[in-house]
Amino acid sequence: MTTTQYHDIFKQVEGLLLRYAPQQVPIQDDTNLINDLGFDSLKVMDMLNEVEDVFDITYPLNDLASLHTVRDFVLQIQKIIENS
Amino acid sequence: MGILDKLNAIATTRQTLLPEGVDPFNVVIEKIYSSTEGSIAGQKVILAGTNNYLGLTFDQQCIEAAQESLSKEGTGTTGSRMANGTFSGHRDLEQELALFYGCSNAIVFSTGFVTNLGMISALTGPGDVIVLDADSHASIYDACKMSGAEMIRFRHNNMVDLEKKLKRLGPRTAKTLIIVEGIYSMLGDCAPLAEVAALKQKYGAWVMVDEAHSMGVLGDHGRGMAEAAGVEQEVDFIVGTFSKSLGAIGGYCVSNHPELDLVRYVSRSYVFTASPSPSTIASVRQALRVVQSKPQLRTKLWENADRLYQGLEKLGLELGPDPGPIVAIRVATREKALFAWKSLLDQGIYVNLVFPPAAPAGMSLLRCSISAAHTAEQIDYILKVFSEMQDSFSN
Repeated sequence: MTTTQYHDIFKQVEGLLLRYAPQQVPIQDDTNLINDLGFDSLKVMDMLNEVEDVFDITYPLNDLASLHTVRDFVLQIQKIIENS
Repeated sequence: MGILDKLNAIATTRQTLLPEGVDPFNVVIEKIYSSTEGSIAGQKVILAGTNNYLGLTFDQQCIEAAQESLSKEGTGTTGSRMANGTFSGHRDLEQELALFYGCSNAIVFSTGFVTNLGMISALTGPGDVIVLDADSHASIYDACKMSGAEMIRFRHNNMVDLEKKLKRLGPRTAKTLIIVEGIYSMLGDCAPLAEVAALKQKYGAWVMVDEAHSMGVLGDHGRGMAEAAGVEQEVDFIVGTFSKSLGAIGGYCVSNHPELDLVRYVSRSYVFTASPSPSTIASVRQALRVVQSKPQLRTKLWENADRLYQGLEKLGLELGPDPGPIVAIRVATREKALFAWKSLLDQGIYVNLVFPPAAPAGMSLLRCSISAAHTAEQIDYILKVFSEMQDSFSN
């Protein structure tokens, strides 16, 4: 996965996060989904549905345990795309 | 920072519940008069939130069976099924459940919750995949986490999403367990089980159905959604509970896979917890006989359920999608739901209050469950009170 691809995914994720996040703050690599953006479990699930549609992927719930920052999220999506 | 700090948020939330005088999530039923009446906060109430679908908690024959067992076999087994906790009644009940479902094998567990924990974590593990409905019960989610299998969620009752996810798995579907519920506990809607079974066949997966809220309720013989949908042969594992239609406590799994019997040796919630007391087993065995011998109870249950659902629908309330014994009323906000719940209690009606995340999609619900034992007068009284409170539910 190249930096460009990371950047492309980041831009799409940024748009989704801004739409779903309860708290509006600038989205950066190290932005925390819970502490900075105010996501709770329900909001995360809503967003994941759309992430799955946008990237045409299946996001395993097991990955939620290691999802903390935007960087984590983008890298997880990258990995799922690579493996699919 | 200490280990208790995380509970501070709960304490704050609980404070918001207390101004109404009764904690809705810590209700004490001070007296129980029948399967439909009790006393809460010093007041006699109609119990309309107990999952006691056939009203068998006060069935005379069930009580007598339990009393006889209590006298003859004592108060408990004091051991797990694997050790000293399997009496002849436990084995007899397993045989009777297998016969009832027309399956070769059955296992009895101590509760419905530990049935899911024990079955799902025994059947699946690392390298396997579980595809579960998004609105699945907490016991299913916890079991999936315990299993170590890959967990994939599909949108509630959305067969397009389920198929998309099965298709993406490719050959891994051979090691994939699909999990759905016959009737979903919060909104009371049914799984499209015929479609689930067709997808299971198409993609070569496995399927488990939790009939906790549908056993005794659906199907010509009360076997649940798999019977009602005509797909019992396609369902690999049926799990259920004794704590709803059968009026006691415990759980079970039935299957035609002979390997089910081996689950006894690897299921930690079977091996490491005490078995149901003999008197519980005795009352469940009698309740199972009642389910089979009194189909009129199911007829009455559905008459009552339709009476409540249609009555509330006429009031213009926003209800769960399917008429049935669980009738969920959506309320605009948590605050309104709490106020309405307390108002109902004050007027002698107990229902369940459900907040997210227990309620799906961020909804706040007043959840009623109806019994065959409710009288038409009780249901009409519930409808009358709801009609007087209509303004409480809207935006």
